[in-house]
Amino acid sequence: MADMAAKNADAPLFLVEDVHFSYEGAPALAGATLSVERGERVALLGANGSGKSTLLKMLDGLLFPDRGRIGFMGQELSEATLRLDSFSREFRRRVGFVFQNADAQLFSPTVRDEVAFGPLHLGLPDDEVERRVEDTIHILGLGHLKERAPYHLSGGEKKRVALASVLAINPDVLLFDEPTAGLDPKTSSFLVSLAGDLHEAGKTIITATQDLSIVGDIADRALVMGEDHRLAGEGPPAAVLADRELLLRANLIHDHPHRHGGVEHYHPHSHVEGHEHGH
Amino acid sequence: MADGGMLPAWMTERPGGFEPGGPDRAVRQSALARTLLGLGRLARDTIYSEKVAARPGLMQGVDPRVKVAGVLVLLLLASLLRHWYLVLGLYLVSVAMAAAASIPAWFFMKRVWMFIPLFAAVIALPSIFNVVRDGDPLWVIWDFGGEVRLGPWSLGTSLAITQQGVRGAVMLVLRVAASVSLGVLLALTTRWNELLRALRVFHVPRLFVLILSMTYRYIFLLLAMATEMFTARASRMVGPASPREDRRFLAAGMGALLGKSHALSEEVYAAMVSRGFDGEPVTASRFRTAAADWVWLASTATLALSLLAGDRIIG
Amino acid sequence: MHIPDGYISPQTAGGLWALVVPAWYAAGYKVRRTLDARQAPLIAIGAAFTFIIMMFNIPLPGGTTGHAVGGTIVAIVIGPWAAVIAVSVALAIQALFFGDGGILALGANCFNIGFILPVTGYLTYRLIARGAAEGSARRWIAAGVGGWTGLNLAALLTAVVFGLQGELYTAADGSALYSPYGLATAIPAMMVPHLAVAGVVEAVMTSLVYIFLQRTNPALLQNYKTARAGGESRFELRPLIIGLALLLVCTPIGLLATGTAWGEWGADEVADEVGYVPEGMDRYAGAWTGLLPDYGFPAGEEGESLGEGAAETAGVVSVDAARKSAPAYLVSGVVGLALASVAALLSARFLFRGRQEGNRG
Repeated sequence: MADMAAKNADAPLFLVEDVHFSYEGAPALAGATLSVERGERVALLGANGSGKSTLLKMLDGLLFPDRGRIGFMGQELSEATLRLDSFSREFRRRVGFVFQNADAQLFSPTVRDEVAFGPLHLGLPDDEVERRVEDTIHILGLGHLKERAPYHLSGGEKKRVALASVLAINPDVLLFDEPTAGLDPKTSSFLVSLAGDLHEAGKTIITATQDLSIVGDIADRALVMGEDHRLAGEGPPAAVLADRELLLRANLIHDHPHRHGGVEHYHPHSHVEGHEHGH
Repeated sequence: MADGGMLPAWMTERPGGFEPGGPDRAVRQSALARTLLGLGRLARDTIYSEKVAARPGLMQGVDPRVKVAGVLVLLLLASLLRHWYLVLGLYLVSVAMAAAASIPAWFFMKRVWMFIPLFAAVIALPSIFNVVRDGDPLWVIWDFGGEVRLGPWSLGTSLAITQQGVRGAVMLVLRVAASVSLGVLLALTTRWNELLRALRVFHVPRLFVLILSMTYRYIFLLLAMATEMFTARASRMVGPASPREDRRFLAAGMGALLGKSHALSEEVYAAMVSRGFDGEPVTASRFRTAAADWVWLASTATLALSLLAGDRIIG
Repeated sequence: MHIPDGYISPQTAGGLWALVVPAWYAAGYKVRRTLDARQAPLIAIGAAFTFIIMMFNIPLPGGTTGHAVGGTIVAIVIGPWAAVIAVSVALAIQALFFGDGGILALGANCFNIGFILPVTGYLTYRLIARGAAEGSARRWIAAGVGGWTGLNLAALLTAVVFGLQGELYTAADGSALYSPYGLATAIPAMMVPHLAVAGVVEAVMTSLVYIFLQRTNPALLQNYKTARAGGESRFELRPLIIGLALLLVCTPIGLLATGTAWGEWGADEVADEVGYVPEGMDRYAGAWTGLLPDYGFPAGEEGESLGEGAAETAGVVSVDAARKSAPAYLVSGVVGLALASVAALLSARFLFRGRQEGNRG
């Protein structure tokens, strides 16, 4: 037992070793290896289909590798361990996942029920659930929507409710899948600054995104997933964003024709320059 | 961008002034439009009943388990009574209960009578005539003046509305109305997740409750998808489509919906599991049977028993 | 085809609950064994899909619209057992959450539409599609015929349930207590439109959806096959077929027996349980004992026919059969028995083939 505890203390938060996964023959991950420490802020960059969403789902114990292994604080994350009540409850309390598709995440009759869903299913006492629901709804400015049905909210409101539903669990680790996709600039910048606050409170934040404009604000380390479904490179955001060759290879930036004064030419274009920072 | 860059020439042509011309055909309401209306109505009804269920009221305050038990008793009563005026009385009780639940009476009655009891009336109509169902004539519409035969079939000697026929038809319509009324009352005043938990108490298997809960959620996701699909189609349609085209489109829509929802199902399940769902729905409001619940159940049972006893005493 | 509350007696409703609950348990057991827990959303999706497409207005010739049930296509995609649960759940949601369709009658609706429809629809599909290539026309034709068969068998059972009300439950003065029509009226009145219209709508829509999926999403049509292969046990059709055949054979026999069984049971126990005896029960308790040997059709009692199909199946029976419906009862039973025999014969053939395949594999 003591051995185990010592091992857990040293082990990285997530340890991904040579993980392979495919959907009906189409590979999503082909030998991904990486590790994340507690309290880190990591961005997972990659083009559509590079496997970053799949990897995120594996970190949340929703998918399991065909080959290779995933460790969480020194224990293996597998179908077998998650079937154990105690393990899965503890794990689900610690790790929260904000899905890209807010519609998939919102299924309760009202915003209040949606936010209460996590805490209730993780066995928190009623008064604690009530307190958390109230607080979370308050900090996300959802008070006026409390009794509204989630499927009739606007895109930005849905995202905030999805976030609230995860934050009410008070997870130690937050996984974001494309948090800013399809959001207006205001909600998008709100999200980024909230992620900053959460990090300062000591939480681990892992964000999968292809929005290069937010990387500098949401991560201290950027991992780039290549088209070959494995890690293509990593480093501090500034260094990764400056590595045009790496970004081109990962299909995160692209050349496309521009016209300046009637002369057509090509130059690399990325959303780093294309976007104003929203704050 | 004067020459349009990579765009083909036709895409850069600009229309002139807005001058619709040519013969206009009146557009009949298509099956598609009707489907869209139906889908929209479902969404609206749901929002409304969620609002009603969240209001303070006599019915909303009752513990869902007690309420389900009470409504079952009354439903059973509605199908056991043999006198039309007692069934009518039961229907009025349900209307009073709706009023106590702060449901507007006109809305409640419209919701109930459209369309099931009305349909029952149409169904029962032929049975009031003696040629369909035998009985003592109440009103002879047409005396044939002798037996009329149609080939091997006899139509009897007159066409009449029978006493038994009318009584049976009134009975059916009232029974159906009272039953639907009670069902709608339960649906309107109970939040669905509480109803689910109440079902669990009645030993409905876990697998069913789990699936029931997920289905309810999916319905609205599919509803949005279907509405989007049909709206997109409706906006692109010039004039009415032929029924044949509509059928093909609807079938393609169903197929696409089946595929999309299948993909979505995995994601919703993942989102639920991620937040600790293990198949057992938990609701925020705990069941606390208060004295009021027992009073409610007791008065419901008393009402049921006395109506039933009255029914049997009258004969 | 939904039976709302008020149309049927509590005794009938209770009887059908008693039939559907074992069917549900069997389905639940099978689903648990053949599909893992992650397949639960699949069933829910099937249910939500059924719910939504029941709201699709399908244009019919003549400017009216109807709707499909979709039980057969759902059974093809997620498997018959899962479909039993899915369609039942869709019906339960309509009844409980939206107040549409009966709550007491839910057992009857789930048995007819939730169990009989997808299972017989699927069996018919398998029977016809057996050995056909994935993209072939025989497969979508099989799906359509399956849709038609499933819907009509479900409608037949519903008609029998309705018809029994007119036969069995009348007040002292002869007025109907529930649905007023006897079997001789209810069966043709239900079956003619279902055979000719609703069944055709179901068939056309099932085929069209099947063709669409063949072209755009063939993996979905393989979904159930894949799940079956992945599960620990091979999906066994034999118990299903035997059970169904037994059921189909027993249903008309049971109905024939109803007169005596319920009549006698009614006199003793119904009085205690419910406090009264439906008059119809008493009548039949006597009528049936002497029925089979020498009951013929009394002359001049043949009523009007509702259509050609009705003339063939029940045309010899009078429409105002409520007062002398014993022969009508018999004819209905015989027709039902004949239909059931055909189904049993088909099932047996299928079973035989299944065994052959089993030997090979």
